[in-house]
Amino acid sequence: MNPMIGKELRQRMRERRGWILPSLYLVALGAVIAFAYFQMTRRTFRGVQGFEIGVGLFLTAAYSQLAFLLLLTPIFSAAALTIEKEQRTMAGLLTSLLGPTEIWWGKFAASLMYVLLLLVAGLPILSVVFAFGGVGPREVGMATITTIVILATTSAISLYWSSAFRRSVHATAVSYVSVILMTVVTFIIFAIEMSVREGSSWSALPGKAKAPLYFNPFFFLTVAFQPVNQLFPEWTTSLEVFVLLGVLCVLLTLRNLRRGGEGV
Amino acid sequence: MIEVEDIRKSYRGAPALDGFNLRVADGELFGLVGPNGAGKTTLIRILATLLRPDGGRARVAGIDVAAHPERVKGMMGYMPDQPGLYQDMRVFEFLEFFAEAFRLPKQQRRAAVDLELKRSDLIGRRHDYVEELSFGMKQRLFLAKTLLHEPKLLLLDEPATGLDPMARIALRQQLKELNAQRITILISSHILADLEDICSRVALIAGGMNADDGAGQSVVELRQAGLSTQTYDVEVLGDAAAAAKCAVEIAGVRILEVQPARMVLEIAGEARDASHLLAHLVRLGIEVVRFDRRVATLEDRYRHAFGGKAR
Repeated sequence: MNPMIGKELRQRMRERRGWILPSLYLVALGAVIAFAYFQMTRRTFRGVQGFEIGVGLFLTAAYSQLAFLLLLTPIFSAAALTIEKEQRTMAGLLTSLLGPTEIWWGKFAASLMYVLLLLVAGLPILSVVFAFGGVGPREVGMATITTIVILATTSAISLYWSSAFRRSVHATAVSYVSVILMTVVTFIIFAIEMSVREGSSWSALPGKAKAPLYFNPFFFLTVAFQPVNQLFPEWTTSLEVFVLLGVLCVLLTLRNLRRGGEGV
Repeated sequence: MIEVEDIRKSYRGAPALDGFNLRVADGELFGLVGPNGAGKTTLIRILATLLRPDGGRARVAGIDVAAHPERVKGMMGYMPDQPGLYQDMRVFEFLEFFAEAFRLPKQQRRAAVDLELKRSDLIGRRHDYVEELSFGMKQRLFLAKTLLHEPKLLLLDEPATGLDPMARIALRQQLKELNAQRITILISSHILADLEDICSRVALIAGGMNADDGAGQSVVELRQAGLSTQTYDVEVLGDAAAAAKCAVEIAGVRILEVQPARMVLEIAGEARDASHLLAHLVRLGIEVVRFDRRVATLEDRYRHAFGGKAR
């Protein structure tokens, strides 16, 4: 096994936030789902069916989970390399026989594994929706796969900023700006485009108008719930955009690590 | 072991190394001295494969460090001026991580870690967290990590900075022992007495270039049998500057330092030449009240080379 992964996981689990963050995450996710449940059950007297509650709870859980994890991912990834510079341990890594790819993979895998731990820890809460019906394994599987791709890309972006900056605070701040650009700014740009083309249907919109949304994690998750025969082109295009963005960040991070001695 | 030819490195246009040359023989314990900003750390970081030179060539055991950094890393151990340690790891975990990072076979890792724990006198602290160690212990732990893969060359950048006297003595002893095992050591330090104690030769560097000690030497021999020059501390009644003028009339005399009633000079030759100088000064009416021979220290040469270059 890559020695970096073992070292990273050991260090992460020894930090106080190693157990505080998962606890807070589960409390927040549970609170959101409980709130949504009580909001929906208040309306059952007006004729809402059980499966509708199930679908509503599932969508609430999937979007809240993505929102929480998008907020948490930069905390784990953006400081991964800057902390080595701040502690002056980067020189020790770069003069060992660990290559830049192993260093990157160790950091990336440890960050992603921690986020996946949160994802898995949230499954018992998500499983509540099965009691109501209306949601099948395909929806859960697509939501999980899409969330993992989004988080892997976000982690790769944060790691790039971590390789580019010397201070964790700067890398973390820029990583959050990247998340805001992807989630909020892309949506605002799309909304402006839509207001210009008032009355146009989605299918009639040109690619240029839709383009910002392919960078949006919530759009990516939304199109994941389409029937299988409708995953193309929206979900597949979003998938390509996220994978390409992630690969670009990996290449840039490796380039920074190869000349890492200049910055440590 | 180390060959550096006309090496150049700039940071945003400001030269840190500007054509420096160096040769360190296999098995040598070699010092590098110079004022702050002279280029010592940059040179060591180039040799450690952390920096790429802008020009010139640096080789370790005949291998170009810029062209084949991976091969150089396998035979070299590097200790930076501020060694970074993972404070939240236990001592043995830290060493085991680096043993793995240096690709030591699994069955050898435990033995290598135990050996280095013994060598660094940290065997009793193996389960302690790194943050619980004293500064001196942390330095020893980092040196232990540097030695895990049995390097042929050690690059040490100011390893004694911040150590108390006993820790410095222990470090010097350890470096002598390592050198006795034919490990080549290049060490930069501002503690000249330490270098004088352990090094066979010391290179002078200033402004990224080879500096000389005023006698045309950029590499000072510290273990040379029968030095050809002797240094004398001379105290006079009256003006030492006038006495210095008289002294240089004797061939082979070089003034190193002049104070109001005292001068330090160097005489090329033997004790008889010193006797001639003393007689010459007395004959010219200089009232000499002290004429002490002293061994020319590295500090004297340093002061002569860099006296006006404090940064």
